[in-house]
Formats: sequence, C-alpha cells, structure tokens
Amino acid sequence: MTDMLTREELLRRAGFGAAMLSIPGLAAACGGGGGGGSASSGTQKLADTLRFSNWPLYIDVNEKTKTHPTLDAFTKKTGVKVDYVEDINSNSEYFGKIQGPLSRGQSIHKDLIVLTDNERFLALMIDRGWVEELDKDAIPNISNLVDVQKHPGFDPDRKYSLPWQSGMTGIAYNPKVTKPILSIDQLFEDKSLKGQMTALNGFGDTLGLVMLANGDDPSKITDASFKSAIDRVKEASDSGQIRQFTGNDYAGPLSKGDLKACIAWSGDIVQLLPDNPDLKWVIPKDGGIIWTDNMIIPKGGDVFTASTYMNYAYTPAVAAKIAAYIQYVTPVKGTKEVLAKTDPALAGNELIFPTDATLEKVHLIDPEALNNQSYAEQWAAVLGA
Amino acid sequence: MKFVRRHLLTAYAIFAFAYLLVPIAVVIMFSFNDPGGRYNFTWQGFTLDQWKNWDGVPALKDAMILSLEIALLASVVATVLGTLIALALVRYGFRGRGATNLLIFVPMATPEVVLAAALLTLFLNVTVFTLGFGTILIAHIMFCISYVVVTVKARLIGFDRSLEEAAKDLGATPFETFRLVTLPLIMPGIFGGAMLAFALSIDDFVISNFNSGTTVTFPLYIFGAAQRGIPVEVNVIAMILFGVTVAAMGFVTWQQARAERMASVRPEQEVAPSQALPAGASA
Amino acid sequence: MGFFHRHRGLTPYLLLLPGLAWLAVFFLVPLGFLAYQSLQSGTFDVGYAFDWAWGNYWDALQRYHPWLVRSLVYAAIATLLALVISYPLAYWIAFRGGRWKNVLLVMIIAPFFVTYLIRTLAWQTILADQGPVVSLLRDVGILGANGRVLATSTAVVAGITYNFLPFMALPLYVALEAIDHRLIEAAEDLYASKLQAFLRVTLPLSMPGVVAGTLLTFIPATGDFINAQLLGTPKQAMIGNVIQSKFFNLLDYPGAAALSFTLMAAVLILIAIYARAIGTEKLTG
Repeated sequence: MTDMLTREELLRRAGFGAAMLSIPGLAAACGGGGGGGSASSGTQKLADTLRFSNWPLYIDVNEKTKTHPTLDAFTKKTGVKVDYVEDINSNSEYFGKIQGPLSRGQSIHKDLIVLTDNERFLALMIDRGWVEELDKDAIPNISNLVDVQKHPGFDPDRKYSLPWQSGMTGIAYNPKVTKPILSIDQLFEDKSLKGQMTALNGFGDTLGLVMLANGDDPSKITDASFKSAIDRVKEASDSGQIRQFTGNDYAGPLSKGDLKACIAWSGDIVQLLPDNPDLKWVIPKDGGIIWTDNMIIPKGGDVFTASTYMNYAYTPAVAAKIAAYIQYVTPVKGTKEVLAKTDPALAGNELIFPTDATLEKVHLIDPEALNNQSYAEQWAAVLGA
Repeated sequence: MKFVRRHLLTAYAIFAFAYLLVPIAVVIMFSFNDPGGRYNFTWQGFTLDQWKNWDGVPALKDAMILSLEIALLASVVATVLGTLIALALVRYGFRGRGATNLLIFVPMATPEVVLAAALLTLFLNVTVFTLGFGTILIAHIMFCISYVVVTVKARLIGFDRSLEEAAKDLGATPFETFRLVTLPLIMPGIFGGAMLAFALSIDDFVISNFNSGTTVTFPLYIFGAAQRGIPVEVNVIAMILFGVTVAAMGFVTWQQARAERMASVRPEQEVAPSQALPAGASA
Repeated sequence: MGFFHRHRGLTPYLLLLPGLAWLAVFFLVPLGFLAYQSLQSGTFDVGYAFDWAWGNYWDALQRYHPWLVRSLVYAAIATLLALVISYPLAYWIAFRGGRWKNVLLVMIIAPFFVTYLIRTLAWQTILADQGPVVSLLRDVGILGANGRVLATSTAVVAGITYNFLPFMALPLYVALEAIDHRLIEAAEDLYASKLQAFLRVTLPLSMPGVVAGTLLTFIPATGDFINAQLLGTPKQAMIGNVIQSKFFNLLDYPGAAALSFTLMAAVLILIAIYARAIGTEKLTG
C-alpha cells in the first residue's frame, strides 16, 4: 500500500528523469506518439503563447536548468511559447480572485487553469458558463483518458474539462508515536490520539471519509447522511479529539511528531518520505476519496491552443515524464507501461499507479452536494466561522 | 543598585530583541538544512549548497526583487504623502479635521480581504489599469499612508515650536525653516513611518494576491510554494535580504560618523543651523 | 516664498491634497462599492441585487457578535502585551542607541523580511509539542502533562502580539526619541529619583507614542485572521476568519461586506471612546 521511498531512491528517480530528458530522440518520440497534434484541424491557428496557470510543483522540472522539459518540448514541436505561472494555491482563493473579472464578462488572460473537483468551484465555473468548450477535434488523445474519469458528475460528456492529475485522501500516521491507524473510526475514537490528530478543512475530503465510515455513499449525499457525518465531526472537534482543521499545513506537525495521525493527501506523504521514511499513508478501511485536478479553459482563453496542449499532455510518453516528477496519479492510459521500461520501481508504486483493487476502494464526492449552500454553511460553522 | 538598574534596562532590551529575532535564528539555521525531499521541516544535515546556489530558483529571486522594488517605492511615496498629511493635521486648524482623522483610521480597520476585492473591482471597472506591478504599487501606497500619518504625528505632537520661531526670527523663510529646522528634527518620525511602510509592503499577501494579475511577489510565492514544499533557497534569500539591509543601514551610519568626525577636525568652519540646536534634539 | 505667504490659509489644504486624493480614489471609491454590496441580497447562484438589505447588518451583529467580541478581546490583550514588551525596547534604543539607532530600528522590522508564513513556521518549530521549549514548560509545571502551546488561544494571541510588535515599537521609539534629555536632568536636579523622573517626565512625554502605537496595533489586529487559522482551533476563530469564510467559501459577498462594516464601526466607536478618555490633544496635537 505504501511505498517507502528512501532518499537514494528519490534521487535515483530524479536522476533517471534527467537522464531520460537528455536523450535526444525523446522529443521526436513525443511528437510521433500523439496523433494530429498541431494545426491539422484545417483552418485553426495556434496562438503565439499559451498562458497556463497551475499549482506549484505540479509539472516536471529539470532541477539543474530550472526549466520544464515537457513544456520546452511542446514549444519545440508546435512553436507555441508557454507562459507557465504557478499562482494557484487554493481553489477558493483563486476563484475568489477570478470571479471578479469573469462575472463582469472580462477575460482573465489565461488559456488554461487547473482546479480541483472536490470543492464547489470547478463545477461553478462550468455551471456559470465561465469556461470555453474544448476543441475535441484537436484532442484525439482524449481516447487515452482512463475509463473511470470519462463521465464525472460535473461534466458528464467531458465538454469543458480534462483531468490533469488525481490524488487520494486517506489517513497518514507516524508509526514511531502511534500504533497503526487504519480506519476513520479509529482516528476519531482512539483516545490516545486526542489533540494530536487533524482533519482537512475541505468537506469533500473530511466528510467524504466520515460518510464512508458511517456506511453512506459520498457520491450520493443526502441530508441524512450529511447530518450524521457532520455531527460526528463536530463532536470530535468539540471534544478536542481533532486538534485543528488544516489545509496541507499538517505536513510540518506530522513530520515533527506533534501529530500522531491525520487525514492527509497521498502526494504530500510521498514528498515527506525522504526525510521521514517511517511515515505511512493508508486508504481507510471503509474507503478513501479520490479527487482530480482538472484542466479548464477560462472564458476568453484560446481554445485551439489550449486543446492542442491538452492533446500533447495526454501522450503517454509526456504523461510519463510529468507523473515521474510530481508523483500523483495520472489519468492517461499507457503511462504505466512507458514508465515501466525506464523506472520499474516508480511504475510499481501503488500511490502513483493504483491497482484496480485500490481504485475500488476510493470514491468520488457528490459534486452537487459541494455546491449546496446549506451544507457549506454548516461546514463553515464546524470550522469555527 | 544603580548598576543593576542601569543594566536591567539593557538586559530587558536584549531579551526583547532576542524574542523578536528568535524566529530569524531558526530561519537562518534551516537555511543550512539539507532535506532529502521538498519540505524543510526537520533537520537533516548541514550543507552550504543552497548558499552557494542562492539564486537557484529563478522565480524566487524575481519575486524577491519585485517585492523589494515595490516596497521601496511604496514606502517613499507613502511617507511623503503621509508626512504632509500629518503636518497639516498637527499644525493647522481647518475645516474637516475630524473627517480627515476618520479617513486616516478607517483603512487600518478595514479587513484586508474585502478591501482587496473592492479595490480589484475598481481596477476592473476602470480599464486604464492593468493588473500587475502598477496596481500592486497603488494598493500598497494606499494602505501605508495611514500608518505613516499616525507615526509622524507622534513625533509632531509635543514638537517644540519655539525652535522654528527662533529660526524665523533669525531671518529664515518658511521653506528654509522647514528644510533646516523642522525636517531634521522630525526625521526620526519620518524614518520610523518609512520603516513601517516598508515592512507592511514587503509582507503584504492578501491585497497583493487579489490585485497582482499574474505578477508574483515574494509573499505570494511563499504561500504558493507552501502547498508543495518551501525550498530552502527561500530561507537563504530572506537572510541575504535582511543581512544586506542591516549592512546598508550600518554602512550609512558609519559614513555619518566619519563625516561628523571629519567636520569636527576643522572647528573654524561655520556650523550649520541644525548642529547649533541643543543636544536633546537629535536627527 | 511669496505664494505661500499670501495664501497661508491654503497651506493645510495643499498639504492634505495629494495624500487625501490618493485615499479618496483608491480607498473611498472601493469602500463605496463595498457599502453598496453590503446592502445587496441574493446568492451566488441567482445573483445579487441591491435592495437596501439592512438585514445583512442585523444578521452580522446578531449572529456574529461572539466572534466580534473575541476579536476585540484578543486584539486588546495583544496590544497590551506588545506595549509591555516594546516600551523598554523602544526606550533603550531611543536613549542608549547612540548613532546605531537606525540600524537597531531596521532590526526591529527584520521579521517582516521573511514573510508571515515563514515566521509562523519558525514559531511552530520552536513551540512544537515535542520541542525543547514546551518540554521545559511541562517540566516546570506551567503546562500540564499533556499540555501544548500550539493550537490554543495563547498561541493565537502570542502570534498576533509577535506580528504587531514593530507597529508598537516604532511609534514608541519615535516619541521617546523626541524627549529632551535636559528635562529629565532637570527633574533629577530637583531631587527626583530615576523612577520618579521616568514616571513624571518621560512617561507623560511619550504618551503620543503610546497612543499611536496602541492604535496602530489594535486596529489592524481586530481584523486579523491568519493567526487564528494557523495557530488556533475552531474555538479561537476571529471575525476575520468569518469574513474569509463568507467571501471565499460561502460566496456570500454582501454578508462579508456587512460584517466588515460592522467590525469597522465597532473599532471606530472604541477609538472614539479611547480618544475621549485620554484627551483628544494626545490624539491630534
């Protein structure tokens, strides 16, 4: 379930990444991999620059030259420069910023942005019509999308969005200070954890896990299932069992031993392992949550250029390079096979390439419930506001 | 007893400084850390690599330089505007004093997030503004003015006007009086206000976040990077910045000391009015 | 200069003009928009419409007054602590700093060079449950056996105090530095002890600085949210956290605006009372 990456392994992988990128033929291979990437859709013209906003450390980086190899290869192949900015650090805050111009019909001067589906904002963008439709003719590689991602609730026909990477929400614990914590029941009830465990401040994550522990289905939330989940969380918070509700700032206290266990995202733990090889991340006994960061084209963005990039990113070879660096779950079929040839250990990492058995245990959150104002207000009350 | 009392104050001051600077010590310490992963939370080992490679993260260096530029400009402009307002408020009676005082306090009381959003609305509706360096600068000047006003006022209140009267009696014009008497005397207040404005600007996150477009300031970079792991270079750059600023200040002070020593070598030279003032008033 | 001499009455207005104009355009206009927004009703989904929704204000006061009170209390405690810590520090720099005063002042704002998040992370390292400081506090008995410092109201107030120290220290320094030392000497010549000289001469003369520092610390501290967010539990949430939540997560822009104005009104009322108590000449000169 959890793969202990020693520091050597991590460095070795980084080395592999760099080595792979220095192979000259690779850029050509990328070009040959996907079909019809460039201006094959007849009269469409590519823009000069692709303006791409993403989360930090969410794309491959060549540590020595500080460039993004897959982006450079894209530029080389299509002639489109990429203006890549890592200015998204929170769905709510980014949305709060862009809703100003978008609600006035103004462009935010971006062609591609990435938002997560476990908060209301992605669905809101689509509902409000603040996104452009994808140019599917320019994305033949869309056939590489894994089946489980083909019909999400917020975009059933994938008209507006394509997954970038996925991650899982589960339980992280520090075996040096606690026995293994393998279920939400244990997390909330074990008194030895009191005041030394945290939950996530997104209700898609925390309430999703609690609903599973209650035996309810988080992808179809009802008032009753919501109430029993939120009551349970509130009780744990009031009693002091839950120390705080955090974003990803659990990482520090967990590494230092202030926290014995917490609700955590899989990718963060992968990043903590080099310095804390004992940390463990598990999918709770009753199931975990899987969430996906999606690429969307905000209104006013250049649809053809953005779609071309999406097609490029869905080439297995390119997806492999990205996945190797950021080590979250890739939505592109065939990536595992490409990586297996160059880095079998990475290809075998359950956290990055979950087996079907693992995928059975993780669930999506109900997107409509995320946008339910009453639920949002009740959750805000639990968080203290 | 006097020894204890005299040194009690110094001891307290050192304790207060230590309290102020103890996180800085931690930041310096962790700038030598050698983490295996992307986070810099636990001590792994000593290395000078990040110091040798201090500009290794290009976006970081750019963000820091940008923040510095904005902070310098914003503090200068805000200090000028704020000092003028402070002078008006303390020295003159005029209609609308109460309203002016109110206008100075309200920005400080306004929660940042709504102020930021409302300011963004202004910039969006008036299309001459494009979000970026200019809008961040405008916003920073705006919220710094109040702090400068209050700080400079603290210096102006209780200012001994008789010194100005004396200068005028000696034939100085109002401008000369201001330049040679008033300004040097209130300079500590102005400097204090400028320091405060600089600190506010370089540390601002909320308002910058909303009004920056795609420009990335240092705090914006940090908050973003914190999602995935703050690189050790951040600690290095912050320390370099701090060190350079303190060194620059120290250098200026040392130069002043030298200049005064040199001036005192030739006693027959005419002494400038500001140096004729009593010992209690220092600039 | 003849112009200014002839137009003496204009001088205050000319002095005020640039700064106030800047504030008028870049603060009052946004504030006006905010006021407009605070009287809107509706939701994000259906849209907002202006309809004199005074209910927003009533709702803000009625539902959220506990958070308001908590914010005012935390800010007041933090201001007091900042005063106690900063006064001796500012005094020392002003009276004993010599020619190195400016260097010392720069060191006071040093923490701001490393941004709020890193300062807080550093404090979280220092005050970690398993760290030496907290262990010592437990051994000495100040904390219970399972006591912790982080994620408590103590941590939140300490965080606010720490982050606003320069706002208190700098105005205090500015006022203390202006005091004519001869006055203190004169008091001592008249048989006052050092303590009496301080209480009767220095302290009163430094009051403008105390007032300034108090205002510059208390006012912004009431609206703070980030210390409660990182260093506190839901029980320590301040009004700033509610406003954040309404704005970013609940998308209730009118509610956030109304709550902001409620906070501002509360703060301004307190300042008015404060000004009356200490005498307005300390406030305005």
